[in-house]
Amino acid sequence: MAKTIDQHFDNLRGSRVWRSIFRSGTGSSTLKRALAVQQNVFLHLFSTKVRTRMLSFSATWYLGTLTLGTFLILVATGIPLMFYYHPSAPQAYADTKDLQFVVSSGLFLRNLHRWSAHVMVFLVFAHMFKVFYRGAYRAPREFNWVIGVILLLVTLLLSYTGYLLPWDQLAYWAITVGSNIASAVPVMGGKIHFLLLGGNAVNANALLRFYVLHCMILPLAAMFFVAIHFWRIRKDGGLYSHGSEPATVRANAFGGGEVKVPTLSPQNPQGQGWGTHGDAKEGQ
Amino acid sequence: MADSKDFTVGVDSNAKKSPRRIVFITRRTSAQVKAETEDQIQTFPEVLFRSAVAIMTLAVVLVWIALLFNAPLEGLADPSHTPNPAKAPWYFLGLQEMLHYFPPVVAGVLVPGLVVMALIVIPYFKVNIEADGLFLKDRAKRLAIFYVLAIGLSLFLLLFKVYAALVPTLIMAGVMLVAAQSSPQSPSAFRRYLAGRPLSYWVMTWFLFELVVLTAIGTFFRGPGWEFVWPWQG
Amino acid sequence: MADEIKKSDDVSRRQFFAKLGLGSLGIAAAGTAAFAYQYLEPNVLFEPSPVVNAGKPDRYPLGSVTIDVNSGIYIIHSDEGYFSLSAVCTHLGCMTTWKPELNIIACPCHGSKFEQSGKKIEGPAPKPLPWKRIWLNDDGDLLVDRSTDVPPLARDSFVRV
Repeated sequence: MAKTIDQHFDNLRGSRVWRSIFRSGTGSSTLKRALAVQQNVFLHLFSTKVRTRMLSFSATWYLGTLTLGTFLILVATGIPLMFYYHPSAPQAYADTKDLQFVVSSGLFLRNLHRWSAHVMVFLVFAHMFKVFYRGAYRAPREFNWVIGVILLLVTLLLSYTGYLLPWDQLAYWAITVGSNIASAVPVMGGKIHFLLLGGNAVNANALLRFYVLHCMILPLAAMFFVAIHFWRIRKDGGLYSHGSEPATVRANAFGGGEVKVPTLSPQNPQGQGWGTHGDAKEGQ
Repeated sequence: MADSKDFTVGVDSNAKKSPRRIVFITRRTSAQVKAETEDQIQTFPEVLFRSAVAIMTLAVVLVWIALLFNAPLEGLADPSHTPNPAKAPWYFLGLQEMLHYFPPVVAGVLVPGLVVMALIVIPYFKVNIEADGLFLKDRAKRLAIFYVLAIGLSLFLLLFKVYAALVPTLIMAGVMLVAAQSSPQSPSAFRRYLAGRPLSYWVMTWFLFELVVLTAIGTFFRGPGWEFVWPWQG
Repeated sequence: MADEIKKSDDVSRRQFFAKLGLGSLGIAAAGTAAFAYQYLEPNVLFEPSPVVNAGKPDRYPLGSVTIDVNSGIYIIHSDEGYFSLSAVCTHLGCMTTWKPELNIIACPCHGSKFEQSGKKIEGPAPKPLPWKRIWLNDDGDLLVDRSTDVPPLARDSFVRV
């Protein structure tokens, strides 16, 4: 029985329809595996090969990957939650209660969304500290660090805007306190406060604005910057790993130490691990 | 000669400061450039499968937590009745704790703004790129600056009675003094480690320490009226 | 060669674990799909009840055809008793009207025409206007359940007072 299932799958994979969608096919050859990444619209953000040292768990604790994982869980739970939620006061509170008590799996989705949000904020901070203490922010990765700080702010804003949506006492007063802090900005504070809330107090306008920010603007911003963040990792030479970086040129390097000069070679066709700088000049 | 794109080395993005190619010429041999290649592996399946396992493990843990613990939901929002205490989400509680001591302009705008700006410029400071141990160079001068800043900050915090921030500052200052007395030749591995830590490490560790302490106090030790309570009293 | 030793339906350890893993993922996916479907089907509807209270029977004199546009039904008092027709045209859902001068129910959208019994006279409507369940409650009010169809012209489809 199992064999015929395999045969069925093989027939399916050989069919014209299948091959028109998945052009390169499966296989364990290096070429096939490289094509699997390179020919895929989502995966070709990655390079087809990476340096072995980048896999090291102790280097990164996979914190960046885990942060992305929480983000994916949040999107996957957040979108279904939108089916039962009206961003109008006080309907929002009734909808949150409905989600918890009436809707099948509603309580589970809400819980998963909430705890993933807290874990994501925690992981984003942990990721930032781990990158810092590894020294992975240094050139040529400076700009990626800045992108990371932007993503930290986007994450905090996502959590903050989402906090208001249940429209309960916890939400209402947390946001009131927070938006009053925003009004403390000198000169522009009052204007910022008014624009943020769409009014002078946390009311129906504020709820709708926070809803649009939380469900559309900030997730799009997050995805935009995450794409840049991943692209920069690749273009900066892959994940930082101390043993793989060219030695810094310092006084002690002239004391007989080797300075690694990377080169393109058949084994290293993409010049993996070496930063490229557009202003490289001859004879410097 | 190969194209300049083939040979790239250097840490600084500025080509003038950080040379692109270095040639060592010794008396006996001709110029030799040692090229290093490193083992590489396929993204698919090595990287992607490991990432998938990591994310699936995370998902399992989060699903368990979601099944066991409920998200909080209090009563309907009531603008006329402020709960006591009215606490911000946990990641802002450090900020809210600081609001207890300083006016909103300082605690809510100045400090977070400076923190964000400081984070952004970290990779662009030469001192962070070179990453030498803080007290291994210009020791006397740096120690003097350290004393001025540490005592100044501690007095400032003492003046405003910000004990929550004062204690971590004093602890960090103490550890930094140990680092100042250490060198790469110190007997204990810990002191050797401390001796090699650069300035950015000290500032960031002080920041992390403060963040954790202030957030912990805001979460567990503050009750109605933002009065100090023991966690078990809350 | 190992082929001779292996039986034809042997599965290698790698294949076994691959099947186990994919199988578990398949079961998880199927379970998720089932729960997702249940989630998307609402358990509570915020719509008015299908049961309509049409008031006391003496509001409807003999031979009258009365439409209630808010609930989309006709209350008709004929010789056999009171009965209720759906006023929603079976073609594409427009609200029909009663034309007493022509003694027909007509739909303004595409020209369907129905008799008083709901039977289609002409037009693109595919089915006759359905009869709805009608009964008297304890207070003596006529109640119509718009979600329940009853056979046209049948004895129990009328309310006799």
